[in-house]
Amino acid sequence: MMLMPPFTLHHPISVDAACELAAQLMASGESFDWVAGGTDLLPNYKWHINTKPHVISLARIEGTSTISASELGCMTRLADLTEANGVHPVIVQAASKVASSLIRTNATLGGNLCLDTRCFWYNQGEDWRRSIDWCHKADCGSGADCRVIPNQNTLCVATYQGDIAPTLMVLGASVHLIGPNGARTLPIQSFYQLDGMKKNVLEEGEFLLKVTLPEEAALRTGSYQKLRVRDSWDFPEAGVAASWIEGDPSTLVLATTALESIPRCHPEEVAAVLADGWKGAASIKALSSSLQKSVKPVNNTALPPRYRRSMVRVLAKRAVQGMVK
Amino acid sequence: MSGGYRQQPGSAGKVTRKDGKRVAGKQAFPPPGSGGSKPIMSPRDLDFIPETVGGREAQPAGSHVHDRVRTGTSVGKPTALVDSNAKVTGQAWYGDDVRLANEVIGKILRSPHHYARIKSIDTSKVEALPGVLAVATGADSPHRFGVLPVTKDEHAMAVEKVRHVGDLVASVAAVDEATAMEALNLFEVEYEVLEPVFDPKKGLEDVEEPIHWRGKYHLARTNVQKRVFQEFGDRSLVKEPLASSHGKWKMAGVHHGFTEPHAVVAHWDPNGRLQLYTPQQVPHYTHRALATVLDVPMHQINVIRTFVGGGFGGKSDPFPHEMCAAILSRKAGRPVRITFDREEVYWINRGRHPSHIEVKMTADDDARISGFDIDALIDGGGFASFGHVTSYYNGVLATAPYELGSFHYTGARVWTNKPASGAMRGHGAVNTRCAVEVGLDEMADQMKVDPMDLRLANLLPPHSRTISGFRITSNGMREALEKVREGSQWDTKFRQMPLGKGIGIGCGFFISGSGLPIHWDPNRFPHATVHIQVDMDGGVTVHTGAADIGQGSTTAVAQVVSEVLALPIEMIHVKSHESDTSPVDLGSYSSRVTFMNANAAIRAALEIREQLLKAAWEILGYHPNNLVLNDRRIYYKHDPAIGTSYLKALHKAQEDKGALIASGAYRSPPMGGVHKGAAAGLAPAYSFSAYVAEVDVDVETGMIKCTKVWAAHDCGKALNPLAVKGQIIGSCHMGLGQVLSEKMVYGRTGHLQNPNLLDYKIPSVHEMPHVEPIIIESCDPEGPFGAKEAGEGPLLPILPAVVNAVYDAIGIRLRDLPLTPDVVFKGIEKGMKAAGVDDPLDLLPPRVEHGELQPLLVKRAAEHKIRDQARQRSEDTSPYVNGVLFGFDPNIPLEDQVEGWRMATEPDPEQLAALGLAGKAWLKKEQRHMDGDE
Repeated sequence: MMLMPPFTLHHPISVDAACELAAQLMASGESFDWVAGGTDLLPNYKWHINTKPHVISLARIEGTSTISASELGCMTRLADLTEANGVHPVIVQAASKVASSLIRTNATLGGNLCLDTRCFWYNQGEDWRRSIDWCHKADCGSGADCRVIPNQNTLCVATYQGDIAPTLMVLGASVHLIGPNGARTLPIQSFYQLDGMKKNVLEEGEFLLKVTLPEEAALRTGSYQKLRVRDSWDFPEAGVAASWIEGDPSTLVLATTALESIPRCHPEEVAAVLADGWKGAASIKALSSSLQKSVKPVNNTALPPRYRRSMVRVLAKRAVQGMVK
Repeated sequence: MSGGYRQQPGSAGKVTRKDGKRVAGKQAFPPPGSGGSKPIMSPRDLDFIPETVGGREAQPAGSHVHDRVRTGTSVGKPTALVDSNAKVTGQAWYGDDVRLANEVIGKILRSPHHYARIKSIDTSKVEALPGVLAVATGADSPHRFGVLPVTKDEHAMAVEKVRHVGDLVASVAAVDEATAMEALNLFEVEYEVLEPVFDPKKGLEDVEEPIHWRGKYHLARTNVQKRVFQEFGDRSLVKEPLASSHGKWKMAGVHHGFTEPHAVVAHWDPNGRLQLYTPQQVPHYTHRALATVLDVPMHQINVIRTFVGGGFGGKSDPFPHEMCAAILSRKAGRPVRITFDREEVYWINRGRHPSHIEVKMTADDDARISGFDIDALIDGGGFASFGHVTSYYNGVLATAPYELGSFHYTGARVWTNKPASGAMRGHGAVNTRCAVEVGLDEMADQMKVDPMDLRLANLLPPHSRTISGFRITSNGMREALEKVREGSQWDTKFRQMPLGKGIGIGCGFFISGSGLPIHWDPNRFPHATVHIQVDMDGGVTVHTGAADIGQGSTTAVAQVVSEVLALPIEMIHVKSHESDTSPVDLGSYSSRVTFMNANAAIRAALEIREQLLKAAWEILGYHPNNLVLNDRRIYYKHDPAIGTSYLKALHKAQEDKGALIASGAYRSPPMGGVHKGAAAGLAPAYSFSAYVAEVDVDVETGMIKCTKVWAAHDCGKALNPLAVKGQIIGSCHMGLGQVLSEKMVYGRTGHLQNPNLLDYKIPSVHEMPHVEPIIIESCDPEGPFGAKEAGEGPLLPILPAVVNAVYDAIGIRLRDLPLTPDVVFKGIEKGMKAAGVDDPLDLLPPRVEHGELQPLLVKRAAEHKIRDQARQRSEDTSPYVNGVLFGFDPNIPLEDQVEGWRMATEPDPEQLAALGLAGKAWLKKEQRHMDGDE
């Protein structure tokens, strides 16, 4: 049986109250986690991975479940996202492929964007992790080395395996963060920060409040391609999102996920190929192989990295297939 | 005739009201207690009474000895499992549902090392923790146990050494789970880490510290637990073959993936008897092992089998955690419950062995299979478990359904520092079967013949003997092949579909109950015993030790009793949970339960039937030969109006002696050869199956999707077609997991990387193809009403069917299971290189043009079909042994006809150098033959 470690659960009902609570806990030196749907955090807690004595739930904060073409609240359930009107079809496509229908009922947009990075040396029970003498990401005070790439103790290479982030990237979305030190807005590609432990730019006490999309996003068409072993449950082993404005190849934006510690946009690769002008199938071929070269997956998910990398080419090709008709 | 039978006092009076409805308590028929909700007897269901005894049930495979006791009540009718209500309403009590007063929680301290010597364990801090009630270590029971008497190599908790990460070191019982978990951190264990072995190939080498030590029987200083050599037939036939296939396979270990994790509750009752609640497939072995480990006589232990949330072989060993719970409970003086988390389930494992299998096969000028040459190196993990048997099954279960010119098998099972492998659905037969069936496909290509016809022209007939001496009785292999060929429209699809779409065939052959009861001589004790008791209320209580693990064995027993006594199934109450009240039974493994247990139940029911008929004779004056049993009535066969109710007859029979009691047993007939290992794979009957699978392969990603399966399985007679279909569909799901996505991943450090159900990829509903179950009924002469197994055999064919279909789709032979997309992609890359194409979409799918052998095979198959029909229906009772196809006389021992006909269980010295990977184990000597080398 897996016993949930004890923690105090807080339920602020407004953003201000949440920030205040966070400030209080910080002031008293208590560590805490934010929880939205709990489908990522709570399984990790059951595995006793980086548990905290306090957990602040966003579930009762008013106005965090907005769903519109231009704004998506952090508490938006993925199941609602897939069924609502007006949400960009590429986002719907990605959201409907997340995990299983059971999980999508509870899982949220905010939680998916802030998903903890994953690694098969890390997402394991306590006894298991003890048997490998822990790892860098959850070293339990041992100062353990990274198990994926040993003899380097600075960077965690756990993989970000969220599906929705790349689609928001290619649609030019911004994330709105808020915390005791105030609010800030930044483009979603600047939200993620390389390193499997830091994951993103959220500072202590800060949380992701909502996502906004520019009006231009509505003009865009695109696709999200996900690689996984089973058509349910599984996290992406690789994912490629693409969007463009119909009839204007120069507007193409590509992003990848589940290949590195963060999801990434690929403006340089796209620019390099498009510099010679759009050549249909030939451009697609060039794009997909340059995208393949630009990612460096490591061996910490179900499928081997060499294969995942090869598949980037296929996924990219399929993601932009709609550009040639 | 009287107006029905009264149980209540008072005058008869009117039994119906003016409006025609019955007056409460005044039913004319049936009286209270006679069972069933229907007031009147239902007519005889002639559709379910065989034609040879006057019914309308067709019997193309001939009649059966049990036909005369068919009553058309239950057998052959789709029947909901008798425990299904309990399950769907959440009232079934599984292992972790048992709650006893004052129970405490047990937790197990597990080894963090792959292989280490335990130098010391300090438990003082644990004992000092408030809330801790008992602490146990290996020192609490030095006795060894194991599922097979010949290979007892397990302890309740590690004694001296730990053998894999997750091996049991110590255990603790505390007032709650949190305290127990806290206590685990307070054990101070000093280990001396030893050099682990992970690669089974390394297990063949001599090492300083073998994982186990078998004394004078130990093979040099290797980690070989068991080696097998078998060679039968005329080896000269394999020279100059027309076609040959040589495949080297690597198959990953797979786990049963049952829903319910292991759980156990142990309680020493006020009389000092142990009551142990556990979801076990084989409660009797646990019973025996507990007695050994705890040093108490068996009669002081009551093993209570809870409902089992899936077993598939993974709950058939006596387990160390069961011992731990009993030891802790004895120390704590309170009931102790231990429930595993999923990680622990993977650590106790007993899944299918990771295997290196090499199969060479040849066919002669007439497309007869002149030789199978199989080498299987299987990775046993840290303990023996069922491995001794698995080592044989990997070879011997490939000796049918085809007639072979010769057979050569070398097998070895090695210990490695991983969780122990064991028995899993299709035990030992699955991996080799896949390799063999794919080899046949390859040879068919070389000979330019259809693989269907190649198979149809090389089948052993019903009532024959395999090259290894197994006695084949009923055999529906041919019909199964014909049915799937027709259903799938094979002839319009095979080698004709576009790139990425493929169709493939695979066959299966499996034992229907192991002929050898592991713990005793089959000539002295029966395989299964069933007791029946019928008291005044008319309900029939059946006591059996058969463990229902979800497969429906309780329902099968209830059905056959219901059939024989012509009583509705709700009147049959099967009691099978407690060893105190159940006769000893070997449990649910080797697909034995329906065959053996239902046979025993029929025998017991026949005795009750006889007593009822005798009583009816006294009441009615008609001899039992002229009486008919039908739905709670016994009547004169020429005039149903002359009869008596079941209850009346029962009460007549009970006069002077009270409740009717009967006992029935099943024992297998003497059979099989006399060579070493002859009993392995020997069964009173065998099941046969043939599947055709259709797949879509995404050639760019290597993703395989199995879209449709036609699954024909010969189960002799489907006692419950609903359950048989469920088993076929479930087997497809399980087999698809092994062939497409499931594997126990051991990383570069030897750790099991995916001990959870997210990373261990059991197919989801999206991966499940449409399965068309086709039931073949070959009517086994010794099976209960003709039935044979349907629980394990149906798993075998799905693997080769898919692998062959993938070849049909992309033209690439893959021999690395599971066929995860990366494995397929790698194959596709190789195929592209070989074909000189840059884009996988430019690959060409294989095509075939039939050669001159094809019509020859079709003709031979047609002749054999006539032969088989005559033999099946016992119109032809001449002997038939493997070898007749090659022109030998079945009436003369083959060794007298053929010079060099082999029947060897040890290699000749000159053979040693040429043996395969596992065969290398024969290069080593046992300690007792090493003349003081050690």
